[in-house]
Amino acid sequence: MKTFLSILLVSVSICFVACRNDNSSSKESSIASTETASQDPKINNSDVPKNTGTINDVITHYLHLKNALTNDNGSEGAAAAKEINEALTKVGESSLTPEQKRIYDDLKDDIKEHSEHIGANGSDIKHQREHFDLLSKDIIDLVKATGSSQTLYRDFCPMYNDKKGASWLSETKEIKNPYYGKEMPKCGEVKEEIKAKG
Amino acid sequence: MKRLKKILLALLIVVVLIQFIQPDRNQRNEILSADMTKAINVPENIQRVLKTACYDCHSNHTNYPWYSRLQPFGWLLAGHIRKGKAELNFSEFGSYSLRRQESKLNGIANSVKDRTMPLTCYIMIHKNARLSKEDKALLIDWATKAKDSLRLNN
Repeated sequence: MKTFLSILLVSVSICFVACRNDNSSSKESSIASTETASQDPKINNSDVPKNTGTINDVITHYLHLKNALTNDNGSEGAAAAKEINEALTKVGESSLTPEQKRIYDDLKDDIKEHSEHIGANGSDIKHQREHFDLLSKDIIDLVKATGSSQTLYRDFCPMYNDKKGASWLSETKEIKNPYYGKEMPKCGEVKEEIKAKG
Repeated sequence: MKRLKKILLALLIVVVLIQFIQPDRNQRNEILSADMTKAINVPENIQRVLKTACYDCHSNHTNYPWYSRLQPFGWLLAGHIRKGKAELNFSEFGSYSLRRQESKLNGIANSVKDRTMPLTCYIMIHKNARLSKEDKALLIDWATKAKDSLRLNN
């Protein structure tokens, strides 16, 4: 009896420990809880009058995230990513044209997901950068559809992603690489200047 | 000695009692219209790999092992399944926005490449879910191509 119990206990604890490790290294962390939070009826009910945010707010926090990554600062990056998510929930969609709205609708779930991953992985900057690559694609498409209140530069680093390359948006003409940070700050070139509208 | 016996007895009672708390089973049989196989091209060999290595946690239908009836193992499984489905559910893939579908395919290729999926804990027990070199190459190739064709078509 005693041996049976101890075997049971040992095997339970082994499995728990094994799976704990997996969870911390794998990248799913707190997605489930954040998703349920966003389905909270209180948040949904209050969306119409309070949504006075703009796409520009999303871009501002994206640039903050980008700058954190150029400084190899994962925890600041995580904080900025959470701000992106926050700004996303406040975007006043009524100010978008139907075409802009169509593009925004296609992009927003993806932006939300990538910023959640970046926000939950403050200690894993390599993983943050993987998501930043995909997030940047979304933000670039978004800016192309809606325009930006400040002049932006679309930069491209040909080395990232097994030399497939990756883009990002910057508010300065000078290259500061968010994918390699201080290891290779100058890698990349300006591909396009997106002029401020209006 | 007497104390030890008491502790063991108490533990035994706890182990017996928790058996009555059974989590809900993730076993819907119908195939939804949002199923991935209806949204994008998934060749049969890929479907086979996905079903053995991924569907237990990433679909609406889990093939439960016998010990899932035994607590706390069943709870552990239920937790993994809940998180897995929140992250990616092949049974509802078609309901994701196109951009998100692309991202998910990208994520499949990446997590297979850097071996974060399937979870080590899972393949320790499910030996047949261990992906061979060929399986990995197949999956990565398929996910990459499917992603590119989504992008081209939209």
